[in-house]
Amino acid sequence: MAGHISWEHESDAALVRRVLAGDVEAYAGLVARYRDRLGRYAVHLLGNTADAEDALQETFVRAYRGLAGCATPERFGAWVFRILVNRCRTMGAQRSRRERVVMSNESMLGEADVAHPADRQAWAEAIRWALDRVSPEQREAFLLKHVEDLSYQEMVEVTGVRESALKMRVKRACETLRALLAEVERA
Amino acid sequence: MRELEDELIERVAEALRQPVHLDAALDVRVMAEVRTRPLRRSNWFLRSRTIRVTPLGALALAAGVAALVLGTAFAALRLRPAPATVSAASAVPFVLVAPEARSVALVGDFNDWDTAATPLRATGLSGAWVVTVPLPPGRYRYAFVIDGMRWLPDPGAPRAPDDDFGTPNSVLTVGT
Amino acid sequence: MNSMTRMGGLALTLISVLGRSAPAQDARLDRLAPDARAPVASLIDSARAAGLPAEPLVDRALEGASKGAAAPLIVAAVRRLSADLGRARDILGRAAGQAELAAAADALRAGAPPDVLVRLREALGVRRLAVPLGVTADLALLGVPADSAATIVITLARSLGDDDLLALQRDVERDVALGAAPLAAAGGMLDASPTGIDVTGAGTTRGTPSAPVRRKP
Repeated sequence: MAGHISWEHESDAALVRRVLAGDVEAYAGLVARYRDRLGRYAVHLLGNTADAEDALQETFVRAYRGLAGCATPERFGAWVFRILVNRCRTMGAQRSRRERVVMSNESMLGEADVAHPADRQAWAEAIRWALDRVSPEQREAFLLKHVEDLSYQEMVEVTGVRESALKMRVKRACETLRALLAEVERA
Repeated sequence: MRELEDELIERVAEALRQPVHLDAALDVRVMAEVRTRPLRRSNWFLRSRTIRVTPLGALALAAGVAALVLGTAFAALRLRPAPATVSAASAVPFVLVAPEARSVALVGDFNDWDTAATPLRATGLSGAWVVTVPLPPGRYRYAFVIDGMRWLPDPGAPRAPDDDFGTPNSVLTVGT
Repeated sequence: MNSMTRMGGLALTLISVLGRSAPAQDARLDRLAPDARAPVASLIDSARAAGLPAEPLVDRALEGASKGAAAPLIVAAVRRLSADLGRARDILGRAAGQAELAAAADALRAGAPPDVLVRLREALGVRRLAVPLGVTADLALLGVPADSAATIVITLARSLGDDDLLALQRDVERDVALGAAPLAAAGGMLDASPTGIDVTGAGTTRGTPSAPVRRKP
């Protein structure tokens, strides 16, 4: 546990340097530091925990593999977030192929689940249902902006997408969510 | 009206900011995987990562199931990387999912395209056939032969660009 | 240079020239039908005399024999491969090895313009090109535009070794096998790269208006 305590007091840059110097175990400090925030993004973007954990595991392994290429170790968080965003894009594309067949049934289930939005669980499910109906690009932009609280400049860095396009995606995501959830609340 | 709508978006964001539950073993799996791959070494990776899975049962299996088979095979492999070898040749495993096959052979530039040289072994698991071939660094064309007569390229690998003899092949690059 | 050294050099040259000009026919060619054997052997001799590797040509002939191809098909295939290897050698230079030439030939056959190979060679300098070329060719064969494939490989090869490049390529193969678009999957190779350039076009994607989403009545 002593190692764990020391990780908490070490900066990202210090941990990255330790890993690059051969201290593989120091990487656990970076994983522990970012797993929850990255995991939250992946779960909401991909819509299920299993895919999210898969994406997260691959992200951390890829980040480790390319750690020497992390040009600014003090910004490891932003760098690994970018890897996750790309990983989720790829996995999202794969998932949409795999699950196309069952989408219609899922839609019906979603509607059945949102009957009582006053209930906290039902509200969470309603959000999940609505989020699933936002395009992946718009969902990505919405989560980064409103849930992860990234600035547009940071979003450009993480996604590689132009700011104007990101603003448009966030706007459209909000419009869709408002339309869907307002309807749920009225129900 | 706009304020009410923004309030709704804020409530959505607030709900989504709540922590999510992730498998506690995730960190363990990540660290187990990175420990097998020390940084700054040249020979740490390739070897058993080259897995070739061909869902011959595609005629019988739905595309989604085939994808699941592929995904499962790769996922299992990700968690159990074999130790790297230090010899010049890399041990490259080839896997073919062919539940209805009676025999499967691997042919390619590495065995003079001899259909008797490299038979695959049935594992009894999901119709998977396997063989591991030591290959020196280089670039190889290869294919599978089912029941001694049906030639099949590897759908999980790049397709060789020239199809001179009417049955396509796959290509594989083995590094140093 | 003294006379002994000169004599030694001459002897080596003679051995080398004689060795090239009168090679024993590869016994494996006995597997070919008689009407294919002689023309294939002749093509292989010519290729060898031109400094091209013989092994890929033998392999191609044996592939044809195993597949039961007719003699003219086998001869044509060997001739075509010999020409491809020659083109690759002209682009990469005489120092290029067998694996490099084979990969370059595949890349050209996959539609890569010659200047892509030149760009790779110039960008990566003295490094052995077999794996970078092989990965470029394989990405192109998977459906990634050759120019994008070369850009990705050049970017990565500056900081990654051959094994890392191949590992990333296998990630792309897996992603494509599972349904990902080739260019998007290949763009993912840059996830962990230092420069992280955008070759996927994601940076220029416009937000497309989506149709209003409504619950079904």
